[in-house]
Amino acid sequence: MRVWLITFVSAVLLPATDAEAATTLASGSGTGNELNITAIAMFFVFIAITLVITFWAASRTRTRSDFYAAGSSIGGLQNGLAIAGDFMSAATFLGVTALVYSTGMDAMLFVIGGTLGWSVILLLVAERLRNLGQYTFSDVVAFRLERKPVRTMSAIGSLAVAIPYLLAQMVGAGALIQSLFSLPYEYAVVLVGVLMTFYVTFGGMLATTWIQTIKAVLLLAGGTIIGVGVMVMLKFNFSALLTAAAEAHPKGEAILAPGVMFTDTITVISIGLAFVFGTAGLPHVLMRFFTVPDARQARRSVAYAIGFIGYFQSLIFIIGLGAVVYVSNNPEFQAAGGGLIGGVNMAAVHLSKVIGGDLFLGFISAVAFATILAVVSGLTLSAAAAVSHDLYANVIRHGESDRKTELRISRVTTLVIGLSTMALAILLEGENVAVLALIALAIAASVNFPVMFLSMYWSKLTTRGALAGGYAGLATALVLVLLGPTVWVSLLGFDKPVFPYAYPTLFAMLANLIFAFWFSVSDRSQRALAEAESFDAQWIQSEIGPVQEKL
Amino acid sequence: MLSQTKKEILGNKSFHKLVSVRRRVSWLFLLVLLGSYLAFGLMSVYSPAILARPVFSDGVVPVGIVMGYAILTLTFILTLVYVWLANSYFEPLERKIMAELEL
Repeated sequence: MRVWLITFVSAVLLPATDAEAATTLASGSGTGNELNITAIAMFFVFIAITLVITFWAASRTRTRSDFYAAGSSIGGLQNGLAIAGDFMSAATFLGVTALVYSTGMDAMLFVIGGTLGWSVILLLVAERLRNLGQYTFSDVVAFRLERKPVRTMSAIGSLAVAIPYLLAQMVGAGALIQSLFSLPYEYAVVLVGVLMTFYVTFGGMLATTWIQTIKAVLLLAGGTIIGVGVMVMLKFNFSALLTAAAEAHPKGEAILAPGVMFTDTITVISIGLAFVFGTAGLPHVLMRFFTVPDARQARRSVAYAIGFIGYFQSLIFIIGLGAVVYVSNNPEFQAAGGGLIGGVNMAAVHLSKVIGGDLFLGFISAVAFATILAVVSGLTLSAAAAVSHDLYANVIRHGESDRKTELRISRVTTLVIGLSTMALAILLEGENVAVLALIALAIAASVNFPVMFLSMYWSKLTTRGALAGGYAGLATALVLVLLGPTVWVSLLGFDKPVFPYAYPTLFAMLANLIFAFWFSVSDRSQRALAEAESFDAQWIQSEIGPVQEKL
Repeated sequence: MLSQTKKEILGNKSFHKLVSVRRRVSWLFLLVLLGSYLAFGLMSVYSPAILARPVFSDGVVPVGIVMGYAILTLTFILTLVYVWLANSYFEPLERKIMAELEL
């Protein structure tokens, strides 16, 4: 194993990074941004730390439980940080800041929704998930339903969320790193892909959790410094922040009112549903609840996570408005053709320069990179687990696979995912990948969450109902995104969308619930009777934990 | 699970108390939070003027921003209450069930 690791690192990683560093240092500037030595130094320090963690984690990753769930040895506080870290992706930190920066109060819908999704997990999901499952949320769905078809469906659901989300992150990462480090897009994508494959293949969940934890602490610290920095400049006067933002913003007072971006009920409800229920359907987030020893720690994890996430979301609103005041009219950050250098997603990064100069800009850039690495690693691991644990071990091998083969399948899957997402991300350079993130969250909310929720709470859900609901949700989400304005008009170039709304969640979720309901209650098979009968045992275990172990 | 154990648990009063209280608390909290979020969302479409109005007539902080932060604060508070309830009420009840059933 050790020889493997060293060969892997020296053969792939070091020459790559050396070459990239050399190109970067030589060329200096690729996109009009000045080279930031601090950023690169801090970034290398972070990579060095993550490599040490991966080596350490690799020496402790022996069993399936180690690989998928870090041996269920993580404590509530650390898992809370890791969960918050999964949520605080580059999309949240830079994307939601950009949304506040461009639309003002409308972004509140994202700020609140992003936090409330975690309340759903706390109040309905976390403890029961831990009590019923082992490594993935499919364990819970398949608890009393027929293993093969149900596992296949929830594995498809997991992959349909993880892969587009991963791809969206990779394309975003390439562009971001390009403007942060003046590194060519392809190098940036390969660097992220290689590192993420390395962490997951060798370090499994243990390495992924530690990397996510460290990054969460760094990001919370960085966000706090930016937020407090803004408030210090305004002498801690919140009204002054709002007044200054309204004065500086091209839309003026309109940013202190809703309606800049969202003006119809269906869109607002779909976005709300995607946040509130989609979060509880993200496979890489749900997987984290198996890294803690019991339901109690699962509850503590999500309570801590809510604290960190709510705090961070509160900061983001201040950071976004701060960027309006100190970045939007600052000539230093204006691109030649108008707008911000690197686009609106760079608002938070530019603001960090106003607050702490080049040193702090370097820190925030390195943190943004760390964020991408940590989030894509978690996504890759959850996709690999869907293939090796759900599809291979449970569907193909009927639940009887040996440890070595299953872990090998998992690692090979990780490698395949790593290589294919790198290739796809390079092909998609410059494309608008918002649609991928849209698909991911819509599927999480309209396939994974409803099926898992019904299997936990509704005794009459049958295998037939779960399959009908899950596939109906999946099909509806995909078809509506295809016919909606994002794909039909923006990508395919038709004049008018067939389906007028960009966000399909409301309809896809309803399709899932209606199909699951109808095909369950009309199911009169022997299997359906047996499944309803075994609900009691599942219910007891979901409420008070695995009783059998305590006998 | 042994069918005998299952019957005992299903017939246990403390178990039913645990389940019904916990379920009521969860749904109540969820209803409050999602209700306030829905109210915010619908108001931003149907009555943006209310959200845009300053909280104090001579101030600049609009109702919408205060409401946003209020919902975030409420989320914090309800999370703390739920954890407190779980530690001081649900968990002792779970231990009581285990003791009663001699598990």
